[in-house]
Amino acid sequence: MTEIWAQAALWLGLALIATLASIWLRVATALSEIVVGTIAQLVIGAALGGALLAGDASWLKFLAGAGAIVLTFLAGAELDPVVFRRQWKEAGAVGLVSFAAPFLGCAAVARFVLGWSVDSSWLAGIAMSTTSVAVVYAVMLEFGLNKTDYGKTVLAACFVTDLATVVALGFLFAPFSMKTLIFLGVGVVVFFVLPWVTPRFFRRFGGRPSELEAKFLMLCLFGMGALASWADSEAVLPAYLIGMVLAGTVGKDHELVRRLRTLTFGLLTPFYFIRAGSLVSIPALVAAPAALLVLLGAKMLTKVIGVYPVTRRYGAPKKEAAYTTLLMSTGLTFGTISALFGLSHQVIDQGQYSALVAAVIGSAVVPTLIANAFFLPRHLLKQASESESASPAVETPPEAHVRRAP
Amino acid sequence: MIRKILLGYDASAASDQAMNFAADLAQKYGAELHVLVVARPPDFGDEVEAKAAIESAQRHNDKVLAKARMHLSQTSLPARFHAAVGHPAEQIVRHAETQAVDHIVVGHRGHTLFERWLIGSVARQVIAYANCSVTVVRAQPPAA
Repeated sequence: MTEIWAQAALWLGLALIATLASIWLRVATALSEIVVGTIAQLVIGAALGGALLAGDASWLKFLAGAGAIVLTFLAGAELDPVVFRRQWKEAGAVGLVSFAAPFLGCAAVARFVLGWSVDSSWLAGIAMSTTSVAVVYAVMLEFGLNKTDYGKTVLAACFVTDLATVVALGFLFAPFSMKTLIFLGVGVVVFFVLPWVTPRFFRRFGGRPSELEAKFLMLCLFGMGALASWADSEAVLPAYLIGMVLAGTVGKDHELVRRLRTLTFGLLTPFYFIRAGSLVSIPALVAAPAALLVLLGAKMLTKVIGVYPVTRRYGAPKKEAAYTTLLMSTGLTFGTISALFGLSHQVIDQGQYSALVAAVIGSAVVPTLIANAFFLPRHLLKQASESESASPAVETPPEAHVRRAP
Repeated sequence: MIRKILLGYDASAASDQAMNFAADLAQKYGAELHVLVVARPPDFGDEVEAKAAIESAQRHNDKVLAKARMHLSQTSLPARFHAAVGHPAEQIVRHAETQAVDHIVVGHRGHTLFERWLIGSVARQVIAYANCSVTVVRAQPPAA
């Protein structure tokens, strides 16, 4: 066990460094963990040998996989089912456009520009099609749009986009067989039964220090994950769906969600994201940097082509529509999950994986940088263009003064 | 004439000093004091964590607003309290416009080089974009 404890200490040390970096840089911890994983593998691999991180150890793979599953469940549980039921047609249309445009566009770019194989190209399309619901949610809160029909529709559409991503990931590379039918059949029953059973079960036995709720949810997630893997599908597919069907019950229990987040961010996801980062090959990226730039450009362009006209059709002013569209181009979690699925199922090689993860990281950073550079905070100001032409952006107006407090 | 003053508040030492200054100013002009706290999500966010960060910041802001309420309840000032989500400078400028504020008071504290490169300090951005006059109160180190 000494070796395992030492490896666990090393990984959690890296997780701590990543968390401190994320606090200092004000970035998502997931982003920081991926980068720390990549650098750690490069540095530790060069200095002490690649095997020291032991990213392929079975206990580590379990923790990492569990992190992806629970994180995906929590992402699904953030859905607002009332809004979704009321506006599913509009949300479905916007969400499918937001998925289909980058999925088809990036797959085509990977196939015909980068010369990837057919399966690798589809995988690239899936990894590049995602949207970060949470980032869009933050934008909606900023604009106060979260209470408007437009905001609610865009938010619900993000869930449709991510659902389409996990469905594509779960079925596109799985051979359709009897196992698939059994997985689907059991899944349909579970997804219908869980919203009825779960709240009643929790009311009867929950609310105790033994954390029955967490154990029950893990049982469902791991059980359906096992069934999905058995059917050659992907465990995050049922996890996201279970999250969505339990959004109206478990998702509303803020205390339970908070406890699950503690478990997820404190123990599980660091292993997932650092492992995802450690599999990135910097030499491969340096050797072929064009792939990541082409994929990132394709994702942003196809998202804009797909989403911007729809947001404008809903009456969003040009700059708010552009801001929303840019933020819908972000997407780290599902992009990384898709890329890692591709690598572990030999759909893509390590060079392609490295390009995809780098493009996914780029998609979490570049659209936000552009949005902030061009739309923050000018987009809220009526006369910004006039004042900008008259003076540099940070010049102090005559009335402003700095006072040292007594 | 100053009728409405907006204070950007985050319970830091600098913003505490800014609150004292804003309250003093409001009393002198007989102005209404608006106190704004802003919950700020990560600049580059991701699933689940960004929402968790916003919720955590909102819970923190409830405490910050309670502190500001308690402090200002000791005065006879007419005060209103607001909470928002987003970039602090953007939200301060936005509230100043929507509430037709005549003067903004913000504290100023140190920032990392990366933050300055990325967005500049809150005070700098408020000064640059506000349509009204702005006072930046620098944190005074405690007397030895």
